[in-house]
Amino acid sequence: MRKTNPVWKGLLLLVVGGVLGYGIGLVLDLLVSGALNYNGSVASAFAILLAVTAFFLGVYGYRGITRGLVWQVVGTLLGGFFVTGIRALQGSDNIFGTFFFSEPAWVFGGLVGVITFMFGVGVVSDWMKWARGIDTPEHHEDEPGGGKYFDVSLDHKVIGIQYTVTALALIAIGGTFALIFRTELAASQLQFLTTTFKLFNQTGPQFYNTIMSLHGIIMIVSILLGISGMMNYAVPFLVGAHDMAFPRLNAFAYWISVPASVLLLMSLVLGGFDTGWTGYPPLSARAPVGMQMFFLGVFTAGWSSILGALNVIATVIRMRAKGMVAMRLPIFVWASVATSIIALTATQLIGLSFQLVMFQRLFGMGFFDAAKGGNPVLFQHLFWFYSHPAVYVFVLPGLGIISELLPVFVRKPLFGYRWIAMSSLGIALVGFTVWAHHMFTSGMNEYLRVPFMYSTLLVAVPTGVKFFSWVATIWGGKITTPTPMLFVLGAIIVFLIGGLTGPPNAAIALDLHLHDTYWVVGHFHDTIFGGFVFPFFAAIYYWFPKATGRRMNEFWGKVHFWLMTPSFFVLTLGMMVVGLRGMRRRIVDYDPALGFDFTHLLMTIGGFLIALSVLIFFINLFHSIKHGEKAEGNVWNSRSPEWQVPSPMPVHNYDVPFEVVGEPYDYGLADGKYIQFNGHQGEKHVVTAESAHH
Amino acid sequence: MNHLHEKKSMLSQGILIFIYLAVLTGLEFFVAISFNSAPLLIVVALVKAGLVLYYYMHVYKLNLESENDDQSYDYKAGTNRLGLWLFLISDSFVFGGLMVMRVNLLGLSRPELNQLLGLGVTAVLLVSSFFMNRGETLIHNGDRKGFLANTAITFVLGLGFLLGVVLVEWRLAIHEGLTPDSGIAGAAFFMMTGMHAFHVFTGLILLAIIWINGRRGLYDVKNYPVEAAAVYWHFVDVVWIFFYPALYLIGTAVR
Repeated sequence: MRKTNPVWKGLLLLVVGGVLGYGIGLVLDLLVSGALNYNGSVASAFAILLAVTAFFLGVYGYRGITRGLVWQVVGTLLGGFFVTGIRALQGSDNIFGTFFFSEPAWVFGGLVGVITFMFGVGVVSDWMKWARGIDTPEHHEDEPGGGKYFDVSLDHKVIGIQYTVTALALIAIGGTFALIFRTELAASQLQFLTTTFKLFNQTGPQFYNTIMSLHGIIMIVSILLGISGMMNYAVPFLVGAHDMAFPRLNAFAYWISVPASVLLLMSLVLGGFDTGWTGYPPLSARAPVGMQMFFLGVFTAGWSSILGALNVIATVIRMRAKGMVAMRLPIFVWASVATSIIALTATQLIGLSFQLVMFQRLFGMGFFDAAKGGNPVLFQHLFWFYSHPAVYVFVLPGLGIISELLPVFVRKPLFGYRWIAMSSLGIALVGFTVWAHHMFTSGMNEYLRVPFMYSTLLVAVPTGVKFFSWVATIWGGKITTPTPMLFVLGAIIVFLIGGLTGPPNAAIALDLHLHDTYWVVGHFHDTIFGGFVFPFFAAIYYWFPKATGRRMNEFWGKVHFWLMTPSFFVLTLGMMVVGLRGMRRRIVDYDPALGFDFTHLLMTIGGFLIALSVLIFFINLFHSIKHGEKAEGNVWNSRSPEWQVPSPMPVHNYDVPFEVVGEPYDYGLADGKYIQFNGHQGEKHVVTAESAHH
Repeated sequence: MNHLHEKKSMLSQGILIFIYLAVLTGLEFFVAISFNSAPLLIVVALVKAGLVLYYYMHVYKLNLESENDDQSYDYKAGTNRLGLWLFLISDSFVFGGLMVMRVNLLGLSRPELNQLLGLGVTAVLLVSSFFMNRGETLIHNGDRKGFLANTAITFVLGLGFLLGVVLVEWRLAIHEGLTPDSGIAGAAFFMMTGMHAFHVFTGLILLAIIWINGRRGLYDVKNYPVEAAAVYWHFVDVVWIFFYPALYLIGTAVR
């Protein structure tokens, strides 16, 4: 008899868990509110939590991620009931809230849930042993097959893939939200998100605000996980290390992003929030409980980013191969270090700013409450001190990927290696001084505007260095265009548009007009697609053979590219056009008299075509894992060390350590050796210009 | 013999640095209650922090050349040391952000608090740092008994600080009408001391871990965990070196 695919079992349990959770939620809600609330938040929250948990139970059994999720549910309930109990003992009038638990109970429960998840999934068990003075082996063997991806693994390649798959899942969720509100925006007037629409305690326009805000933050978290995926997967083998410097911390940083994602999704059902992903007070000080789940989720996801960045820096400083001096590091490693410097430090300030609003809501502390002498603009300073550099966190690894892959596909040395390496650091450091350009209309001191304008314009200099190098690298090269190269070229063009539309926003006089319009939305979608999405896809197509020993389908890869790129231009150029003509961002409706209907319809069609192309990518990805064309050697004729060993990559990367003896990107030059393996069969592995060329 | 001499000098260096810190803390208090010069208070705090960073936290150890063998304990301890310092850099952005919040909201005013009580808890934390340094030096010298005794004293003093802030200081402030929701002075005070107290609490957990494991006989050779706990403990002290003048000394008191 044929063995049933565990995914079917998972889907079956998903339905069972959903129905069960819905029932439990309905009964609990009935007990507290005394009414049957069929589309209420409580029933939906329980339905979603139990459905997701049951799905993983079916796919993987009660271990790894399933155990983590079960413990998170239990921890959330325990924490919630604990605070509820305390409120009951204090004789509080309303020990329960609109969404079953009161707001403090949800916050405490959410926090406990994150901690219990980490214990449940088992990522802290080694540290617990160390604290009791028990040694553990440095490495743990992973089970063979796909199961290791659902459980705690210490292998940087497994963690990199876990990050990447989680990022793709979040892209799918965030993209679905975008499709929902894009459909609503396809024409003026309210289409289906009307005032009579009711879901999760929200009317249509409120629901629009929630999914618009969640689209923003879920995409941001998915980008953070996506860059962590690329860095975790590639940085150790690019520098010649057997793993990251702190494998357990690495696993911890990945796994904490899972309960964080759950918290973010819970904000959808717990009344949502209507502030956009920026969460400005005073609005965020009064939004529903969903606001708190959003704050908690971002705070938790921030730890993933901080600890991951710490690990990358330590790995690059301490774990390099012999001869891998600073000026011979692959560009992607330079970009990873630059991005990690920002993520390590600035992330704390978005965490702090969100924490302060959480405490303002919970304890009436008046940080941003003007009635108590607080200052709402202070929030914006703390928030943007991270959230502007954050966009450099998003794009620097992607720009590194462009520089890393371009020489491989034009068979020429990278132009101006030193300048490229330093430009990443330059962008990161200048990035720390530009945050207040988001606040030109916020009422901050006027004399601050001009220095922030100039520092912002300064970012264009190191970015221009990168473009100069890319163009000079392509110049006169022997260009081939397999799928990864297509995405690299697409990234350069899209990022150019994103880059050129940036300085107008930095100019104060223009920004006063452009602020909060669709122009800005178009601008940042261009920078993020050019700086992250295109390079991310390029990296997946490029390293897929390294991870699986098979190639992704070229034809469908090209369909993906040629469908996504023009659709994307329609979408974002449309955004900029309506933005320049005065279309406000973040609103559910617009005046038909403005004449934006047709452009919005085109943008919606563009959005759906992008979604279709990504769907094609997903199918190609999962199909190629088992059925792709075999590719175990150096498929791209790369000089990079990871391609000189068989695919899939051996468990601890290099059985024989290598030594760096030349420049990394000397494609097409005579005597251009980059690395040399120091084992007895060393000579066999030497990559010369000759072997790289053919 | 020479080696022993060096070990002794490390102990006497700890004493000397403690005396400097104590004198500077007294000077700071005197400056605050007599002519209250904010720039001078900032300079004193910077000097104190510099002394702790260099002589107690041994920041220069980041530069130590470890052996080439990347599987050796020394090399791994060096990597861990780098990781810990990176974490401290990250963490100091939280405290830096809180300081920005305090300056933005309160400027040259401060919450109305009992300055003598503030000096008291500060002294307790400073003395605890002295004993921590002593404990760390002694385990490096192979003196387990001394290490355990000094770590225990550090723990008790740290606990005293924590209880002094949370049970005495907070209660007193609330009694005087300075509550979290009374205004920005109260909000800043409870947020800053609360965040610091949370770090003291985690530091106490680390101290408990090294004390219990030390009693079981660990750390004869592989004593990096002791250094890590000590560096973290001193870091918490450095944060207080800035928070104490910011909350208790600089400017004029407001409710």
